[in-house]
This record gives sequence, structure tokens and C-alpha cells, in this order.
Amino acid sequence: MAPIVSVRDLRKSYGQIKAVDGVSFDVQEREIFALLGPNGAGKTTTVEILEGLRSADSGTAIVAGVDVRKDPSGVKERIGVQLQQSAFPENFLAREIVDLFALFYGRRVDSMAILRSVGLEDKAKQKQDKLSGGQRQRLSIAVALVNEPRVLFLDEPTTGLDPQARRNLWELVRAIRARGTTVFLTTHYLDEAEALCDRVAIMDAGHIVALDSPPALIEALLKRGFRKPVLQQQANLDDVFLDVTGHALRED
Amino acid sequence: MRQILGYTVMLLRAYARDRTALFFGFFFPLLFMVLFGVLNFGGSVRVNLGMVDEAKNDQSASFIATLGKIDTLKITSGERDAQLAKLTAGDLDLVLVIPSNFRIAPAAPGSSVPTLSLFRNSARAEQGAVGGAILNSVIDQLSFAVTQTAPVVSLKSEEVTGRNLKYVDFLTPGIVGMTIMQLGISSVAFAFVADRQRGVIRRIMATSIPRRSYMAAHVLQRLILAVVQVLILLAVAVLAFKVTVVGGLPSLLAVAVLGAVVFLNLGFAVTGLLTTENQAAVATQIVTLPQMFLSGVFFSRDAVPAFLKPVADYLPLTFLNDALRAIATTGASLADVSGQIIGLVVWAILSFILAYRLFRLD
Repeated sequence: MAPIVSVRDLRKSYGQIKAVDGVSFDVQEREIFALLGPNGAGKTTTVEILEGLRSADSGTAIVAGVDVRKDPSGVKERIGVQLQQSAFPENFLAREIVDLFALFYGRRVDSMAILRSVGLEDKAKQKQDKLSGGQRQRLSIAVALVNEPRVLFLDEPTTGLDPQARRNLWELVRAIRARGTTVFLTTHYLDEAEALCDRVAIMDAGHIVALDSPPALIEALLKRGFRKPVLQQQANLDDVFLDVTGHALRED
Repeated sequence: MRQILGYTVMLLRAYARDRTALFFGFFFPLLFMVLFGVLNFGGSVRVNLGMVDEAKNDQSASFIATLGKIDTLKITSGERDAQLAKLTAGDLDLVLVIPSNFRIAPAAPGSSVPTLSLFRNSARAEQGAVGGAILNSVIDQLSFAVTQTAPVVSLKSEEVTGRNLKYVDFLTPGIVGMTIMQLGISSVAFAFVADRQRGVIRRIMATSIPRRSYMAAHVLQRLILAVVQVLILLAVAVLAFKVTVVGGLPSLLAVAVLGAVVFLNLGFAVTGLLTTENQAAVATQIVTLPQMFLSGVFFSRDAVPAFLKPVADYLPLTFLNDALRAIATTGASLADVSGQIIGLVVWAILSFILAYRLFRLD
């Protein structure tokens, strides 16, 4: 089966800076795929090119069968996005935000059903700016689903969330994939990538420096003779935190 | 189209929940009207007219008696020098001198008609303008009566003189004009700068809605708001302040919408130069404040200093206020205010070009 995202030799420069410098990779349908890398590695630029928000200087990018460089608005119709540093308009209720974005795609949707799918049905009549951080992230995923996208792009979806809300969001991402949607995310949390993703690509200085499943990457590292000089622990601080505070989602 | 209308409706609904916007859009102009209308300035404009009768004949007496029937005029008679001194002191607004050759009769061929001299106190431009207009119309009426011409026209001037032009009558169109200006400039600048900074526009542009549909909905929403604002302001003026709107509502609304287009364009142009809300606060004041004072919102433009007049005469709010005021207070038709309409259309074209060049969504 043809990959749902196919990137070949993608390049984008800002003046002298090569933000994306010859990037190639494929994402298979129904994968959870992550793009990792330090700040300034070119992750967001790459993702925004794939989302049709930024134009590339050269190379090709096919997303859900559409050439992004030729038809950015065609891509926008077929994907769902959650952007970094973005917000919803003020004075709209959560439910109205879903209706509003459905309208932007020229669709009518059952907004209650969509809110229910992200566990926000009881917040439908609340103003979106009164939602907690985790609720807002879930609303933003709900909105990204209104056009029944084939690929869902999530740019650092769990940044700023507490451990309970992060795990809740992972469950949501897994559920979305189970319904047949490919998920493409970026994150700074490597435990998140390890727990959630089928494959990850690690970017640095505009290049992809590693690309495989997390276990395969770890195994390859160990094969190169890497040994971590630490005691093997049966639990970590994360486990302690969740043990003493519980898994239940905290709101407000 | 469904997208544009649907988005417009949703924007209006969100606007109705925005207390700050409602305050500045509706409550604030009403507050102005109440402050200036009630604390005012005494209800009607009273014109203190000093009379100097140098003819002292039956005809001058009957002319003075005719003027005496007009409510707005408060007439005191006296000698020329004393009356002019009172005018200078500000006790009188106008002094009318009736020359000794005064008579009410058609001029004999070749001879000149008697000339009445009118002295104005330039510091009281409002009263001077009202009084001058009344005197002109009474003289016209007399001329028509004597020469038996143009009876149709005399009917109209009767209405003007018979009406008690109150300050709120004068003020209301000015407040309407000011509100439209504020809506166009401030509602665009603050909303778009904030939405751009918070990433709202970026998020919307990641959907497949075309930019022109997005912009169309925002413009349409504000044009609808402009019409609603005009209707509410006029309703309050008529019901609470007994303002008489002589001209037609459709003409008023047509001019108001044209004015709204001009100020929306200017708003989008200014917004293109801004990145933060603090800048927006300063920039909107720079654009709106001079027009508040130079374009005759609260007081007649006669009070504008002479060196600023060439500027004041061509400001967009001047065209808008003059047209609204002519329609509301004298019943002018759209054709009567074609000069102002042309001015607004020229501004609409210029401001659209500016907005097109300067405005940016990201």
C-alpha cells in the first residue's frame, strides 16, 4: 500500500539558515508517527509544509494523495491539524467552536458526538477560553477531527499538561488511530514517543538523523556498544507520582 | 455563500457575548448622547438676537413682530453701538441692523433693495448658524409673499423656521457618525491584532476556508452592526430625547453604510501596520481623535480654527457627519448631499487601496 505521507528531498531556507535541508521519509496509513528533535531542528517547519501552511523551496511532499506544493488547500481539506501557539476565537462556546470549524470545511457535523468522542460533552455550553489546559487540547483535537481527516497532525500536543492529562491524551490518540486515522505528531517528551509511536524520526539541523521504531532504535544503539551506567530501576518518579495522585483526570 | 453567512451569524452571536465590545459599541455612544443631551446645554438652541431698528416704520415693526413669533429667537431692541458692544461681550449672539430705507415692497427697476446687516459673534458659531438660517428663511418668505412667486418653496422654509432646532437634534447625527467611525477603526484593529497575536487566524487559515470568505464574513458582520447601531441610537434619540429626524431613514442608513465601508477600510489599513494591542490603542486614537474634534461631532465645524479648516473639510468623518446631519435635521435627500457622498466614495476607493496594500492576516 502506498504511504499516506511521502516526503522526498524537502528543502526550505530562511536567508542563510537551512531550516529543512533535504528531508525524506514515508508514513504508512494508520501509523502513529513522531518527528522528534531539539528546538530549531526544523520539525515545525517540516510539519507546516506538510499542512500546506508554508511553502517549500524544493522537493516533493504528498499527503493523503495530494501534492502539497501544488494544492495546499486540497491538503487542508484532507488533514486535521493542531498547531503550536494557536488559539480559538473568544466568546465562542466549546460546541460552537466545533460547529464553526465544521463550517470552515463546508460541513455540517453532530458537534455533540464529536465532543463526546474526546470526553467533553458536559463542557459543550462552556466558553472555550474557560476550559482547562487539558480540556482545551482535547477540544483542539475534536476540532481537528471535524472534517474526518485521513491524517491528524499534532504539534506538541501534551506540552504544559499534567501527567494525568498527558496519559488521557495518549489514550485519545490511540483511539483515533484505532478508528483508522494516521497520526503524525511532534513532541519533546521521549517517553511519550516511546509509549505512543510506531515509528519515530529524529531531526537535527534540518536533517533526519534516525528513523525507525523506538525498540529498533534502542537495539541499534545497544549493538553499537552503548551501555548506560545506571542501576536498573523497577519504577521511576513518574510511576510514584501517578501512584500517589491516581490516574483520574484532573480538571480546572 | 452559506459559509460566509453562517460565519457572519456566528460572529454576531459571539459579539453579543462580548461585554467590552458591547460597551464601546452601544453603551458608550449612548452615554455620550445622554451626557451631552441631558446635562446639556439646555435643550434647545436659544439665539439671542439684538435688534437695531433704524427705519422705525410700520413695515420694520411688522418684520420684527414676525421674527418675535419664532421660539428660538430671543429678541432685544436697542441702539446700534450699545447692541454691538453687547455682542462683543457675548451677551448677544447676533445683531441685526434694519436700515432706514427699509420697506417691504418689490424693488423698483434699477434701484437696489434695502440691505439688512447681520453681525455675528464668531465665538458662538452654533447660535450664529441657527439664527442666520432662520433670518434667511424669514426674508425669503417675505419676498415670496410680496412678489407672489414660488409658493411651493415657501412651504418648505416654513417647516425649517417652525422647527425648534434643539442641541440634541444637532448632536444625534454627530454621535451616529462618531459611532460608525469607532466601529470601523477600533473593532477591526483590536480584534485582528489580538487574533493574529494569539494565533487564532493561523488556526483558521489551516482549514480550507478561502481567505476572501473569511474576510467577507468579518466585513459583513461589521456592516450589520453599523446598521443596528444607527437604528438603536436613532430610536433612543427619538424616544428619549424627542429628537425629530426630518429626513428619510433609508437615506440615513445608506449614508451610514457607505461611511462604515470607508472606516472599515481605514481600520484594515491601520491594522496592517500594527503588531501589538498597545500599538492598536495608540494608532486608533491617532486616527479617530482628530476627527472627533475637527469633523463636527459635538459642535459645529464653524468653531474649527481657520488654519485647520482645509484639513477638517476633507476628513471622512466630516463628509459623513455633514451628510447625516443634513438628512436628519433639514430633510435633505441623497441628491442634496451628493457632494458629501462623492467625498465618501473617493475616501472609500482610496482607503480600499490602502487596506489592500497594507492589511495582512499573518
